[in-house]
Amino acid sequence: MLEFSIFILLPLLTAGFCYFVKDLRIQYSISLAVAVLHLGLSLLVFLGLYHTQLPTFFSVDSLSKFFLLILSNVYFWVVLVSFSYLKRPVMPKAEEGKKYYFLLINFYLTANSAAMLSNHFGMYWVASEATTLSVAPLIYFYRNEESLEAMWKYLFLVSVGIAFAFIGILLLTLSAKGTGLEGKQLFFWEFVRNAAQLNPIWLKASFIFIFVGLSTKIGIAPMHSGDIDATSNAPSPIAALMSGSLRLTALLGVMRIFLIIRPTTSYEFAKILLIIGALLSLFVAFVFMFKVNNYKRMLAYSSVEHLGLISLGLGVGGLAFIGAMYHAFYNSIAKVILFLTAGNIHRSYKSREVGKVYSVLTRIPKTGWLFLLAFLAISGIPPSGIFFSEIKIFEGILFSDKPYLLAIVLFFLLFIFINMGKIIFNMLYQKGKDEKPQTGTEKFELTHFISIVLLILLASVAIASPEILYKNIISITKDFGMNL
Amino acid sequence: MGIEILQGIISIIVILGVAPMFAGMVNKQKAILTGRIGAPIWQPYYDLRRLFKKETINAASSSFISRISPILNLVTLITAAAMLPVGFWKPLISFNGDIILFAYILGLARFFQILAAMDIGSSFEGMGAAREATFALFAEPIFFFTIGSISFISGLTSLYDIYHSIQLTNISYEVFIVICSISVFMLAVTECSRMPVDDPNTHLELTMIHEVMILDNSGFDLFLYQYSSYIKLFIYAVLEISFFYPFSKQSYLLGIIIFISGSVGLTFVLGIVETITSRYRMKNIPQYLLFATAIGILNLLIYTFTK
Amino acid sequence: MENVLSILFCLSLFYVVVTSRVKAYVTVLRVQGIILAILLMIPFIYHFSIFGIILPATLLLVKVFLIPRYINKVILDLDIKRRIEPTIQQMVFLPIVIASMIVIFLASNILSKSTELNVIPFASGFSAIVIGIYIIMFRKKLIVHVCGFLILENGIFLFGTAVASELPMMIELGTLLDVFVVVFLMGIALNRISNTFEGFEITDLGRLKD
Repeated sequence: MLEFSIFILLPLLTAGFCYFVKDLRIQYSISLAVAVLHLGLSLLVFLGLYHTQLPTFFSVDSLSKFFLLILSNVYFWVVLVSFSYLKRPVMPKAEEGKKYYFLLINFYLTANSAAMLSNHFGMYWVASEATTLSVAPLIYFYRNEESLEAMWKYLFLVSVGIAFAFIGILLLTLSAKGTGLEGKQLFFWEFVRNAAQLNPIWLKASFIFIFVGLSTKIGIAPMHSGDIDATSNAPSPIAALMSGSLRLTALLGVMRIFLIIRPTTSYEFAKILLIIGALLSLFVAFVFMFKVNNYKRMLAYSSVEHLGLISLGLGVGGLAFIGAMYHAFYNSIAKVILFLTAGNIHRSYKSREVGKVYSVLTRIPKTGWLFLLAFLAISGIPPSGIFFSEIKIFEGILFSDKPYLLAIVLFFLLFIFINMGKIIFNMLYQKGKDEKPQTGTEKFELTHFISIVLLILLASVAIASPEILYKNIISITKDFGMNL
Repeated sequence: MGIEILQGIISIIVILGVAPMFAGMVNKQKAILTGRIGAPIWQPYYDLRRLFKKETINAASSSFISRISPILNLVTLITAAAMLPVGFWKPLISFNGDIILFAYILGLARFFQILAAMDIGSSFEGMGAAREATFALFAEPIFFFTIGSISFISGLTSLYDIYHSIQLTNISYEVFIVICSISVFMLAVTECSRMPVDDPNTHLELTMIHEVMILDNSGFDLFLYQYSSYIKLFIYAVLEISFFYPFSKQSYLLGIIIFISGSVGLTFVLGIVETITSRYRMKNIPQYLLFATAIGILNLLIYTFTK
Repeated sequence: MENVLSILFCLSLFYVVVTSRVKAYVTVLRVQGIILAILLMIPFIYHFSIFGIILPATLLLVKVFLIPRYINKVILDLDIKRRIEPTIQQMVFLPIVIASMIVIFLASNILSKSTELNVIPFASGFSAIVIGIYIIMFRKKLIVHVCGFLILENGIFLFGTAVASELPMMIELGTLLDVFVVVFLMGIALNRISNTFEGFEITDLGRLKD
């Protein structure tokens, strides 16, 4: 019961508390305490030091353990940075948004933990819809026109997408008609055990609906547009939260149905669908990197690219699957650094346009260098973890039955790297038009500290490659029935 | 056999005799509902008598079409009326497939009316004819998707048999019939140029559909047109009332009572509908008709799949 | 009985397709909510239980009273004009809808041969889903998009009863709550949009591009 109260009830209570206590500092300290507890407990659960006993509809398996850890990790850093972020006078209109910031972010934690821990499709649906609801007002934090439009589009698109996922869930019950599962509840593992009996037509339809519906939330092309708008207009911590954890929540749903479909004859079909979605995402990122002129949108497209890579890993299977799991972890960390530093740049230049940002390295050197390092990390330059996970994915593709995919993927990735690099180096090095030579000194802030810590984490986890992480990922792979 | 022919003849006489009164009753209802006293229900008879006595004057530009059209109109409508089960009796003309004849004999009447309207050569009549033709295009599917779908389901093709196949046995069939009757009502409103499709009382040529076509007719020709339009209204009324057949299985007397009360009730409904609705804009009318067709299609789909 | 309610549901869909007034959409939402509530209450005619009545009662409360009232309030507050502003002609829209419905009915009839399912509610629910999507696609007003989304949700609900999926009551209640909060948030967003953009149409939202 303790774990249930810490993972789900405590954040909910904190959200309620934040509604009544208006003082930001108190809200912050309590939220931080909750985040620490959450992180600690999910670490304990992950390490296998704590055995959970959750009520009905919730349970823990190796996949949810892993994703829960990613969520807690991202959430902790985001909450840590939130207060310093809120203290800054960014825009006068945003004052109103601050009031509900901690309330919503706590509610987000509740909903997201519930989604991660659910073992029932209905519960998963309710919880992941709740994450959308909690994130949507946060996107509108700045109270300006762009963020309003982004919020509307995100809310609408994702709600419709999730409604589609619900159709998929209903079709899944339909596929269980006439089998031993009929009348039983929609528990994942019941379905996985009896997957072979399911009606293949309905199962395929169900997979299509769930995958397409949740792609709005994962950000897989062609349903990515709402996600891009939202991520690029949300305040930086929220953007980090969305890229790092919310997308994975939606991916979890797709992985659940993928797990069910695995022992059936429709497996190949699902794999091909995942690969098509992944390649489309890479293609979209490839095309838009040429013309994007807003660095936050650029980061959002980078998220599309990396989630595409992850689903490619899922689709290809084998070693690529392991790579995809590692990638989910590393990507979430790298995205936090990128968005936080991008937030710093936004604060000093008051613009998200690439053209208006120049000589970052001389004006705000600390942020600039960290941004550069984060970019190198996300592009897969060693010793960043992304390098190792990408290598695994590529290796998996090479030894799969579709090795030609590797050529396409590498082609896309190369151009994405070149274009992203071009934009970022322009921002960092290019001199402004009538700029006086000045060397700014920048105070060492919490964001810098967090970025450094996360960069070290990114590299050290990859180099040390803890046994427990490897074991957990192998156990996920075993759940998915892949032999290595 | 003999008694059936007698019944058929009585039916036709009833239609010919009662039709103007039916129109008069509708007008009376409408007048009362809008707070007027209104003309007596016999008023259509007076009008007809007045027109009957007058001399026919044809436009100089008109050809023989204008001369034969009114009488053809009346004859075709009487033929159509002879196929209807008035008072749930066996009609004079009844054979397998007469549903098609019924639909197209009404079509023939309309065809001649449109032709005659264009024959005069006035632009107003031409416009009215164009509108009538357009709306007829949308109205025809309604008939086939309602009466036709009952025929399709029962496998019978004669109007009399179709109506007699209606049974209130299972609930989805009941709903099916109720929705069919709604569609038929919408069809009746269209075909008889009542509100909300057309306003029989309007005198602005731009908004008229049916009335504008007979603008240049006078005297005996106008009498024929008017009389046939009364008959047409009554024909559709009978189509509608015949849906009540299942309630009148016990005896002839009950059938007659239901028929009469149904007609009176229908005048109420028509009166209320005409009072509470306003005429649709011309461009919305096809949509209204398509809506009725859609209901018919849906009905057919649903019923065939529930069986 | 389910079939009859489904037919009524389809008729309400047709009405929503041909109407050109925003208020009519709200009325249709009410009617659909009542239909769904009745559909849920049918089993209790024979076996009454206090516990089981919670879901239909909540559905009635949320879909018939709260949401339509809230939308009406938004319409009233923002002074939204009553025309729906279609992007394609109504005359074209209705045939598209009819064609889609015919396809859906035929397809579900074919599918019902392999699986046991209730064709009429299944196809009606699916039609509502498709029509909801069409409404979102072919209408300009944002409030109408919200109504389209709700029609889609109603369709899913009907669809759910057709496949006889037995979700636990907690989950169903959670679903209803989620839908309500979505609509609530959308209403707030609309309010803001009317202040910020001085318009309620999708064409007003075009800032975010690459």
